[in-house]
Amino acid sequence: MNELKIVGKSINKIDAKDKVDGSAIYPQDIYLENMAFGVTIRSTRPHAFIKVDTKEAGKIDGVLKVFTYKDVPGKNHHGVVLKDHEVFASKKVRRIGDPIAFIVAETKEIAEYAKNFIKVEYEDIPAVFDPEEAMKEDSPKVHDRDNVFYHFKIRRGDVEKAFKECHVIVENVYKVPMVDHAFLQPEAGVAFLDEDGRVVVIASTQYPHFDQEEIAESLGVNKEMVRVLTPAVGGAFGGREDITVQIHLAIAALTLKRPVKTVYSREESFLAHSKRHAMKMYYKTGALKDGTLLALEAKIIGDSGAYASWAMNVLRKSAVHATGPYYIPNVKVDSFAVYTNNPFTGAMRGFGATQVPIAYEQQMDILAEKLGLTPIEIRLKNCFREGSETATGQVLEGFVPLERCIEELKSF
Amino acid sequence: MKKRGKGIACIFYGTGYGNGFPDVSRAYARLLEDGRVEISVGATEVGQGAKTVMVQIAAETLGLLDKDIVLINEDTSKTPDAGTAAASRQTYNTGNAVKIACENLKEKILEDAAKLLGVNTKVGLCMKDGLIYVKSYPSKKVSLKEIAELNKDLQAEGVFTAHTTQMDENGQGAPYWPYTFASCAVEVEVDTETGEVSILRAKHVLDVGRAVNPSLVEGQIDGGFAMGVGYALMEDIGLKDGKMTNGSFEKYIIPTALDIPEIEKVLIEYPEDTAPYGAKGIGEPVMIPVAPAILNAIYDAIGVRFYEIPVTPERVLLALQSKG
Repeated sequence: MNELKIVGKSINKIDAKDKVDGSAIYPQDIYLENMAFGVTIRSTRPHAFIKVDTKEAGKIDGVLKVFTYKDVPGKNHHGVVLKDHEVFASKKVRRIGDPIAFIVAETKEIAEYAKNFIKVEYEDIPAVFDPEEAMKEDSPKVHDRDNVFYHFKIRRGDVEKAFKECHVIVENVYKVPMVDHAFLQPEAGVAFLDEDGRVVVIASTQYPHFDQEEIAESLGVNKEMVRVLTPAVGGAFGGREDITVQIHLAIAALTLKRPVKTVYSREESFLAHSKRHAMKMYYKTGALKDGTLLALEAKIIGDSGAYASWAMNVLRKSAVHATGPYYIPNVKVDSFAVYTNNPFTGAMRGFGATQVPIAYEQQMDILAEKLGLTPIEIRLKNCFREGSETATGQVLEGFVPLERCIEELKSF
Repeated sequence: MKKRGKGIACIFYGTGYGNGFPDVSRAYARLLEDGRVEISVGATEVGQGAKTVMVQIAAETLGLLDKDIVLINEDTSKTPDAGTAAASRQTYNTGNAVKIACENLKEKILEDAAKLLGVNTKVGLCMKDGLIYVKSYPSKKVSLKEIAELNKDLQAEGVFTAHTTQMDENGQGAPYWPYTFASCAVEVEVDTETGEVSILRAKHVLDVGRAVNPSLVEGQIDGGFAMGVGYALMEDIGLKDGKMTNGSFEKYIIPTALDIPEIEKVLIEYPEDTAPYGAKGIGEPVMIPVAPAILNAIYDAIGVRFYEIPVTPERVLLALQSKG
């Protein structure tokens, strides 16, 4: 390859100056003429049938309209894989934080005041918070289906036979909690109609073209009638993959024919977007006397919370990465995505591949100690190299510089 | 008492949607009247540096400077779909689409240039610094601006699809490509009186294929490291009957700059064949080895294994008590 001129150079980040001097425009910074303001009513119960009465709130001076599921012109649903989220809860809520209504008023203060007059009648139903409980047949069902909505398997070699040949077997259960993306900028957005009658939604998002499709489906229009503008985005990390403000704003702007804005507080941001999947990981790893890994068996249970979001893809990624970057000839992995009445989980930096090393990398050190090897020795012995096969049988072609990554740590 | 320990971890990470899912990025390149080139692409800048990286890739491919590239990436009515800014896929996937769009545009520009210069083929033409010239006779040249004035419709598309194969019922197949590798070492200090874990120093080694912008890669390592520290030691939404007990920054503790040591960074560069200029995705791999390295270092320091995170001071003290 010829010498590169610009690739490989640390030129200044193009958007850095605007972000440092404050001139970058985030959706919070946008004010349009005649702009109304919306606030969201969310469920306070994890699992309940609901009845919503918006009449009193709607009569308050300055309230323009209170939107509920009845006001969704198109499909009252969204979701990155399964369309299991409702734009507004219609009959029941499945988690604390489910959106129930969107009050749009002349000012933020009026909209906030009107919140006090929305009556939500909850009829609590049995809920389930522990994914392993939720896997049982007689557990409360979060949706009208089995709570286990995804099971992915890896079967390679013969683990039972291989464990019998192992010199050391290490068996442990690891638990990781739900965590938040904690991006700097809480969700916010503005929607309005442009001169061509299109609904324009300005919102911080990771995937504007997918938002465009989801907004169009809920508005019941074709997607050319929806335009998504991405202003400055204050961090995302996967937490802006699912819809939050976009559809509510679009419906309000289209119905009221005027600009509508909403800004979440940090507390509402926590309620509105996904979390990293909590996982319980059962690990059994076996090695020969010289430290050669021979078998791995893992069961990984992912708490998807009330909605699927990316759970199938996340739990699949967990399973594919469950061995760590090591050649193991006998592998049995089962990963499950399970609905509960917890906050919903979705994409977050690492996407299922971040949870499993909490298990597999501690297993490696435990094995090393039992075998009298150093952490570096056991890793060098087993690490992927060019031509190695992963647990899915994929041959790693090209450069696999893992050995060098490990060698570099010797000097630490 | 303060006890010190070291720990390491290494990881691999498969880029992209994976498993045969259509992972497609599109980009348009267009020659503007003033001789600059406009790139339209729906890749969101979420802080990771997409705007900068796409401009660098376009400029490199067209022999231009970064200031000669005009990037449009903020309006779905003007940009083609480049997929999501996630899965560490924008530099790899969309970078490829931008490179292909620029190569296609370059071919069209060279065809026009060949006609203008009166040469019988575009072979032997060079495009550099906004000029197209005959390699063996550089004074025979034409500028991009001159070409743009004569042909106002010079544009091209670039499409790239990541190659992955769906796995079978036994989970066998080639679900992701490429894979990125990383390792991390940390030294921690555990205060056995307060239970607090401090990170004293760290080293991060990252397989980048090629760093399009080394400073941005180092920035990702810093950010990913901080997120890993939070995951290992601090963060938990604190669920109780479906309710977050730590649902605000009053109780949801995240690391600050004071929790993060100087990190020794090593970028390993072996260009990946299928990647734009060899660049792999690194946005997620930077974070993944950090937490397990910390857990292994804590064990080295105090002889306690934590099977559950975060390792908060309370958990450290309880574990030390029960260890006796």
